[in-house]
Amino acid sequence: MAFPNVRLSNRPLHFIYLCDCSGSMAAQGKMQALNQAIRQSLPGMAEVARQNPEARVLVRAVSFADRATWHLADPTPVEQLDWRDLQAGGITAMGEALELVAGALQSPPMEERALPPVLVLISDGQPTDDFDTGLSTLMRQPWAQKAVRLAIAMGHDADLEILQQFIGPEPRGSGGRSPRRPLQASNATSLAQYIQWASTAVVGAASMPASRVAAGDGPAIGASVSANAAAAESNIPLPDLPPTLMDPIDDVGPLVW
Amino acid sequence: MTWLLPEGAELRFEGLDQPVRILQALGGGTQGQVYAVAVGGEQLALKWYLPACISRDRGLAERLRQSISLGAPNGDFLWPLALLEASATSKPLIRHPQAGFGYLMALRPPGFIGAHLHAGGQLEISLQNVLKACFFLANGFHQLHLKGLCYKDISLGNLFLEPGSGRILICDNDNVDIDGRDPGSVLGTPGFMAPEVLLRRARPSAGSDLFSLAVLIFRLLTRHDPFRGRLELAIRCLDEPARRRLYGEEPLFIFDPDDPLNRPDPSEHAAALITWPIYPPALQALFIQTFGTGLHQPQRRSLTGQWTQALARCLDQRQRCPSCGQETFPDPAAPGSCWNCGAAQPRAAWLQLPHGRVSAAAGNELQHHHFDPLASPDLHRPLARLEAHPGDPTLLGLKNLSGEAWHGELSDGRSLLLEPGRTCNLAALQQLSTGLGPITLHR
Repeated sequence: MAFPNVRLSNRPLHFIYLCDCSGSMAAQGKMQALNQAIRQSLPGMAEVARQNPEARVLVRAVSFADRATWHLADPTPVEQLDWRDLQAGGITAMGEALELVAGALQSPPMEERALPPVLVLISDGQPTDDFDTGLSTLMRQPWAQKAVRLAIAMGHDADLEILQQFIGPEPRGSGGRSPRRPLQASNATSLAQYIQWASTAVVGAASMPASRVAAGDGPAIGASVSANAAAAESNIPLPDLPPTLMDPIDDVGPLVW
Repeated sequence: MTWLLPEGAELRFEGLDQPVRILQALGGGTQGQVYAVAVGGEQLALKWYLPACISRDRGLAERLRQSISLGAPNGDFLWPLALLEASATSKPLIRHPQAGFGYLMALRPPGFIGAHLHAGGQLEISLQNVLKACFFLANGFHQLHLKGLCYKDISLGNLFLEPGSGRILICDNDNVDIDGRDPGSVLGTPGFMAPEVLLRRARPSAGSDLFSLAVLIFRLLTRHDPFRGRLELAIRCLDEPARRRLYGEEPLFIFDPDDPLNRPDPSEHAAALITWPIYPPALQALFIQTFGTGLHQPQRRSLTGQWTQALARCLDQRQRCPSCGQETFPDPAAPGSCWNCGAAQPRAAWLQLPHGRVSAAAGNELQHHHFDPLASPDLHRPLARLEAHPGDPTLLGLKNLSGEAWHGELSDGRSLLLEPGRTCNLAALQQLSTGLGPITLHR
């Protein structure tokens, strides 16, 4: 006889892509690169899901161009996911996309108990609709406030300020790569790295706590203020960004987009 | 994934005569990347650190050197064997301007599976082998602490087990340090960290290891979490601040005998309610102590030696329920009923040994510590094993796994010689004389 067939109860972890499908994404193969990057990231994401007994990883996707629509509407277990290609064409209804996601994060349909959702916004341009209203609708949802919000800027026409507003307050200190700043992808390789990082390392951090290190050197006993201040920045400590071949630029490989 | 070391290349390292051929990238985490490598005809694993990890953890190289010179506590650790720093000629081959360093260790043999798969219910394993894995884990920490070291960051993530044997491997030994020597940078993993470490009131130590060890043993034995009961149901978003409350600010053991506030919820926490009653009170008491008075008083936490003793005794009590066939661990004096089917448990036959008693059930083993009061508990080298007859599973035999022949007396007065590797039928046996002491069968 074996160990009884029981397991630790798990909680859903909603992972939602918000993908820019405006006309400019058709240029230089950006749309294809994004489709490939997401499709290639799925096996790694499924492996992380399998290794995290505390999480049930469910994926959805919104595409936005002239309108925002659910590209993948049902919360889908990652191991059952077949990525259907996004098509480019139209303008950039990013604000509407945020409103769609706001609706999904409302309870119901959102479960009463869950892990922090992960929202990944990917864009190569600027919103053409009312972004501010969309963002404030989103941020009224408690689950959106709790969510890990990441942004990937494809190419150098992306509106970094808008993406930073989606992420939240910029971290202290000037410049440098941080998961709390828009991640700049200027070619297919770096895009794939960031998508893979978000779908594996970040999903892991949001679902199962990782090993912690103290902030700064020296004994922290009694001097817990700095550690608390660092922890207060977010409700989920984010993992390091993937190592890059070329420091200190926040990019990997040549500038294509 | 960006692999820092080039697959297929031969790299040279300071202080190592032979070149290291990078065979294959095995995996990467937040700290570093692991490669299968060949060194002088031997296949080993190489962990190479990410630059961010090295800059965060100033004492890393020094700790690794220290661990390498002190040596592994026992064979259950994937211990660092050599620290590697790239030679001047090899640095340009490393795909990062800061070449960094890494260490060599043995490759994890096939068949060892991440302990999180067991916690997630994705593994077929017997209760006996789960208990053995817990014993090996507690014993590994016993040996580690006896060397004056502490581990600092034990969790499901750095334990591997072999489901068919219960053997374990403890990985990621790069935080190991002399207890109390240096604060280091690692704090541990939330959910496993002792409350005083989670709340930043103390740095990890052998004392906090005892807490993390108890959490890990609990998670292996129950497939549940010691602090997730009804209080968890009030938490909507299980994020960092929520975990801090649950494990640091207001921790309450789900089976606290004096406070039922955090009992498991029958539907949400069924695993805990099913598995906890499997184990004998002596084993449960070690959890109650560590997660009760030991929560805030590290010196009151159950010690590694108490864990190995209680786990070894639990294994000695193992029986099969005659009604449903499940493994049960009844108290020999008061067998009670089966945790699985509820049937009353008969008082089973047992083998009386100079320092212990072992229930007569297939799979149970006799160990050195059953004969020698000075031998510390060990399960790696059994002296005998009870085995079911291949043709008739109701017939039990005792197999001599020692190197010496044993003399036996049968109930009809005849005698027998049990050569090493041979099995004798238990039905007719009364007593065996071994060089270490007698084995007497009680029915």
